[in-house]
Parts: sequence; structure tokens; C-alpha cells
Amino acid sequence: MFLGGTISTPPASLRLRSTLNPQNAVTQSSSQATFPAAMQRKPPSYSISDEDLESRGFLLRRTAEGLNLDQLNSVFVAVGFPRRDTAKIEVALQNTDALLWVEYEKTRRPVAFARATGDGVFNAIIWDVVVDPSFQSCGLGKAVMERLIEDLQVKGICNIALYSEPRVLGFYRPLGFVSDPDGIKGMVFIRKQRNKK
Amino acid sequence: MLLIPISSSSSSILPPNSYPSNHHSLFFSNLTYPIPHGSRKLKTLRLRANFWESIRSGFVKNNNSTQLVEPPSIVVDEEEETEPLLPVEFTLVERNLEDGLIEEIIFSSGGEIDVYDLQGLCDKVGWPRRPLVKLAAALKNSYMVATLHSVMKSSSDSDSSEGGNGEKQQEKKLIGMARATSDHAFNATIWDVLVDPEYQGQGLGKALVEKLVRALLQRDIGNISLFADSQVVDFYQNLGFEADPEGIKGMFWYPK
Repeated sequence: MFLGGTISTPPASLRLRSTLNPQNAVTQSSSQATFPAAMQRKPPSYSISDEDLESRGFLLRRTAEGLNLDQLNSVFVAVGFPRRDTAKIEVALQNTDALLWVEYEKTRRPVAFARATGDGVFNAIIWDVVVDPSFQSCGLGKAVMERLIEDLQVKGICNIALYSEPRVLGFYRPLGFVSDPDGIKGMVFIRKQRNKK
Repeated sequence: MLLIPISSSSSSILPPNSYPSNHHSLFFSNLTYPIPHGSRKLKTLRLRANFWESIRSGFVKNNNSTQLVEPPSIVVDEEEETEPLLPVEFTLVERNLEDGLIEEIIFSSGGEIDVYDLQGLCDKVGWPRRPLVKLAAALKNSYMVATLHSVMKSSSDSDSSEGGNGEKQQEKKLIGMARATSDHAFNATIWDVLVDPEYQGQGLGKALVEKLVRALLQRDIGNISLFADSQVVDFYQNLGFEADPEGIKGMFWYPK
């Protein structure tokens, strides 16, 4: 892993029930156990810096606070996801390990989003990566992904995975994602149509 | 071997005094879903014949008589549209061994698991060691943890349908586990499916995953996914999983 700099906390102080730092904290149930990385990491270098994004009117958010779920749902629909129950979306966000969204300052609406679920220590899966079609192709998706991955790494999660539709494989590869490494296959349970009597 | 790969984290020093020193185990009950667990008076349900048939067919009959135990049946109003609820804990198999011993294999989705036992099981299947504290946290943060335990008792014990949580002096051994993480609304991902090598080849892994999936579906989780080593893709296909559905690919970030 990353060994630059001094060890900020000795290993023995690994503590349960702690959140890493406020700006990275997600709405979590109090029973969530997290592990801060013991080593200090190098400052991340993103393709587009936070300042650059801000100067273009894009604000980065790491909590669901201020996120309008109806507007988020609209972005989902705009990219072809099914429209989902906002109450369920709320539950999902409450049980999400990390999330990131971009707020467009002018309209105060979400224009990019991604979240990750997992066990908080070993594995994370990234879901619902979306960029509003009107704001695509200007680096927002990449910005969100780079930061989400960094946030997960800071929590010590080494295994980051996702399921990619075929048309966006080319988006994830440059970010460092590999499909079917060692022949590992992503699989989904298919519910059969039941015959109702 | 029925494995889903996980990345190993580097070993770390166990924080002292993290565990009650008199009893070397940590039990994590999963409190995130509404069905009460651990209660003796389980509302066990009459399960449909074909449900048991699908499990029964997986078990090998050997010289020792192996019988499937149906949980005590209480017929519930049949809402025939939906499947009856899975009980949190029930006996999968009961078999008579030599010396008048009876072995019961018990499935539970209640998530009560001893982290030391789990580490021992991971050792048995040859997985790289993971720090106990992290293992414990991973279990705690999992939406559902399903376990298989083997309970040995002598045939002179009455009423074998108890949960076997150690009320009587019974030898209870962890022989299988599978867990799922979830956002509690849309998606669940199954990780760490393992069965003690001594108990493999008997359909227990199949039962473990099948029950876990069923329990997840009953909690309205629409999307159940997992990542399968190439040699177990067929195993999961037979359980209803499809690889690369509609061309959707599983991807990993800089896998080792």
C-alpha cells in the first residue's frame, strides 16, 4: 500500500465505531465499524482539481445532506435507469459506505453521482454512477469516480469492484478497472417467472 | 472448493483487551432486519414439498442413515402468491452416526458467529489470514450472515428440533458461512462463501447460498450479485445466477 510519510496513528489504536473525518463521513448507523488507514497517504492528484471544478460552478459533496432525491431520480431516469421509489433511495443512501455527488451551483441540482456499498473493511461495490446527459463529457464522471475510490482507499478498503454496462467499459478502464481479472465473473441472480396458481 | 475471492489485507497487531477474556468469542447478531432471531419459539412454517425436494436431491445417502428433517410445521394462512417466510434458523439435515451419535446440520441467517471459529474455517479452506478485528467488523457491517453449524448429540437427548445454541452440552461446530452486504433497498452482494472441506460435496454449499438468496429476496432486495472464481461459475449458474447478464461485466480496481 502507500508508505509515504509518518504513521499518524499506531496500529493498536484501530478503533471500532469511528468515522474517519467529518467531511468524508456519510450518514451511517451507529453500529457501523470503520477502520482509518494507519498510514498517512500522499495527497491525491486528481485529473481535475477541486478548485478547477469549483471555478466552473461544480461543488463536490460527500454526504447526502442537501441532496434532493427527486432531482437525483430524474438524473437516473435521464441516463436510462428505472425511476425508483425515493423512500427506498433514502434507505439505500443511509446504508451506503461512501458517496459523492456534484452540485451545479447555478441550479443547485445534482449533476453527477456515485455511491459505494460494502462491509467497510474489505470490499466495496460502486453503484449508480451517473452524470446528467447535459453535463457529460467534461470530466465530471471521472472526477466523482477518482474521489470515491480515494475515499474508499482512505478507509482501508482494498477490494473495489463494480458492474459495468458494456457501453461504458471504456469509461472505467482508464480509471484502473479491469474486467474479469483471472477469470472472475460478475454474476447476478435471475428471478424466474413464477407460475401463479 | 466453493470460494469467492477476497483480497487479503495486511496483518496487523490485534488490539489488546478487545475481547472479553473469559470467553473467546464474539457474537454478532444482525440487527438490521425485522425478523426476530434467536428466539426458541420460532414461527416455523410448513414449507412446500418441492422446496425440500430441491434440497433433498442434493444430499448423498450413505451407510449412516441421513434424513432430512422438516421443521415442526405450523400451517400459516397460505398467501399463495408469495413464498412462505424462511425461518431464521432450521435444521437442514440430520443423520445417525456410530456410537449412537446424531449429527444435525443447522442453517441460520441470524448472523451469530464466533469470529475465532470463522478464522479457523478460513484456515481450513486455505484462505489467506485476515486480521480478526477486521473480520469481526466485516461481519458486523454485513447485511446478512448465513451460517451452517454441525451439532453432535447422543440419541438419548430428547427433542432434536431445538436451535442447538448450546443450551445442552452439545458439540457445535461452524462448518459453513456466506455473507451478503447490501444497501438494504436495491442491491446485495454475496461474499465469502465457504464450506468446511470435510463437509463439501454434500450439497451444503448449495443449500447455504440458496437459503441466503431466498432470505434476501424475502427482504425485497431485487438485485443479488456476486463475483465468482472461474471454477465456481457453474456452481452459481446452477443456483440461478447468470454471468455477464446483458453483457454487464464485473470489474475490479487494480486487482492484485
